[in-house]
Amino acid sequence: MKTILIDSPVANVANIARALRTSGADLDVTRDPIAIANAQKLVLPGVGSFLAAMQWLKENRIDDAIHDAIKRGASLLGVCVGHQLLFDVSHEMGSTRGLGLIRGEVQKFDGVLPVPQIGWNRVAANGPLFEGVEDGVFYFVNSYAAIDAPDEIARADYGVPFTAAVQRDRVFGVQFHPEKSSAAGLRVLRNFIAWT
Amino acid sequence: MDVIPSLDLLGGNVVRLLRGDFANVTAYGDPETVLDSLDVPRGSRLHIVDLEASRSGHPVETNIVRRLATRGLRIQAGGGIRSLDDARTWIDAGAEKVVIGTVAADSPEILRAIVDDLGAERVIAAIDVRDGVVRVGGWERDAKASLSEVLARVEELGITETLITDISKDGAMRGPSFALYRSLHTNLRIIASGGVSAISDVVSLGRIANVSGCVIGRALLDRRVDLAETRVRVATTNAIPERVIPCLDVRDGRVVKGVNFVDIRDAGDPVECAMRYEAEGADELVILDISATDANRTTALDTVRRVSESLFIPLTVGGGVRTIEDFRALLRAGADRVAINTAALRNPQLIADCAREFGVQAVVLSCDAKRTGDHFEAMVRSGKESSGVDAVEWCRRAEELGTGEILLTSVDRDGTNSGYDIELLRAVTSVVKIGVIASGGAGSVEHFRDAIEAGGARAVLAASLFHDRRLSIGDVKQFLTSEGIPVRQ
Repeated sequence: MKTILIDSPVANVANIARALRTSGADLDVTRDPIAIANAQKLVLPGVGSFLAAMQWLKENRIDDAIHDAIKRGASLLGVCVGHQLLFDVSHEMGSTRGLGLIRGEVQKFDGVLPVPQIGWNRVAANGPLFEGVEDGVFYFVNSYAAIDAPDEIARADYGVPFTAAVQRDRVFGVQFHPEKSSAAGLRVLRNFIAWT
Repeated sequence: MDVIPSLDLLGGNVVRLLRGDFANVTAYGDPETVLDSLDVPRGSRLHIVDLEASRSGHPVETNIVRRLATRGLRIQAGGGIRSLDDARTWIDAGAEKVVIGTVAADSPEILRAIVDDLGAERVIAAIDVRDGVVRVGGWERDAKASLSEVLARVEELGITETLITDISKDGAMRGPSFALYRSLHTNLRIIASGGVSAISDVVSLGRIANVSGCVIGRALLDRRVDLAETRVRVATTNAIPERVIPCLDVRDGRVVKGVNFVDIRDAGDPVECAMRYEAEGADELVILDISATDANRTTALDTVRRVSESLFIPLTVGGGVRTIEDFRALLRAGADRVAINTAALRNPQLIADCAREFGVQAVVLSCDAKRTGDHFEAMVRSGKESSGVDAVEWCRRAEELGTGEILLTSVDRDGTNSGYDIELLRAVTSVVKIGVIASGGAGSVEHFRDAIEAGGARAVLAASLFHDRRLSIGDVKQFLTSEGIPVRQ
């Protein structure tokens, strides 16, 4: 089965493409809404600002294409800001509506530890995405996160407990960077590719 | 890990004596005002030392303890408790526990009487140690018994907690005596005391077996340590691993190595080295292009591209970054983070500009520090020239400008394998909140531990040591784990 990596200009697509291929994906990298709408397996990357990433999705009608694909039974993995885009709303720079595929809101870390979080953090997880790495350590770079999301499947602690990964039906999201998380990250990608 | 604020009382005021000297007093004012300003919450433990009582042998500040107990604080009171009557006086005033010092070390029969009357759970045995010897009587003479004898006796009486102070460290703000606490073999729960001057000290103490708490005095009063922040850091300390980072010094596309930044030798292919390091468990890779200041940028970018395409861990690249465009080119070539050094010292605004353009997480300040008299100076041009800027102040400023982390290299120690410069690390880690990567001087597994434990570093970097296979990253991680320091396995 083909995996479609959405070729967002606000993401480090080359790195995640390499990690997906290493994890066994038969990969196409595209920003064509038709190809995305017809995908069976989608990966949505993202770094930087939520607002810029969401604007790009809308301007290129990729938001609709993603919704179409999900309705047709596709599975989706959002990574980092791509994970945040799945939620109803983000409170980065005002409030911006997300794709609404995952329930809840993304907010700024409100604690005493320095923001952004930059580095490895222990993740307590369950479910098929984390098979073999239920107690793994993953690499994070983020100032914003969902806290206690209803669809949470993995949790980490950065002064405050936060949602490290979510799953709702066929839609997954990971707040960390699997492409920078060495063997544990590649395992998560492999699990997503193998998941049906 | 109990974080216990400590107040020394004299004449109704909170004070500090430097190394127990009554002639060397710093006064902080009325205890209740002090507690309010420190935000000590209800239910917190509070350590009270009645200094006048320790000198005169009779409880003096009982009224203060009575007032503080009504604020919901769980007080452990001490200072010159010489008899059962003294101990009862403190308990009657509202103290939850008494802290028994000289008597615990020198008069086992009185200690037994106190335990029999009040119950062992209300007694903390306080042991003051200097150079491994127990000191008593306001630190003025050696005790009759040895440290291990005193500990065994205390344990026999059913007492469960002991407060151990290394008095050579107390109030001197140079860090607690980690080696002392690590060397103690006892079933008692140890409350560490003396020398705690940074949040990382509390975190590090909490990683030592048997240490269940620590008291903090001067560092809280002088606002060097925030109580609430300390408690959060201690609570998350086992989730967030400390990092081991190999460094490749690269020139003209080849890994090279040198001592004190000079005397350079060829040592291999960067891609091969990088892949070996990731397989060994490296948490990140740093590439420093030491030719870049003078020479060919294209070769450097090509090296970064080739290395980044072979790795699934973060990659930090530094060397010769002068402009926002240099920074951008390295990110495009595959670096996750870029370290700036000389150019930022000449134009600090470059840090803020890069942070705005690429995000704080992408910016690393690389600071090469050299001891000059009683301070450290930030060096430029690969450690060859002094900038005239104070290194500690420069790191603090860089944090304000927008750097995500600091790569702090001791120019004096680099390549010597004689250990990281702990004093330099402490000086910087105690004034910044962002992470500091220790660099320069690693030669043994203990050095890595010391950089994290005593230096407060959040990551430890080495180049030649890993490159020559004198130690593997696995060796370092195994040792850190055995010392209670969390690492990614």
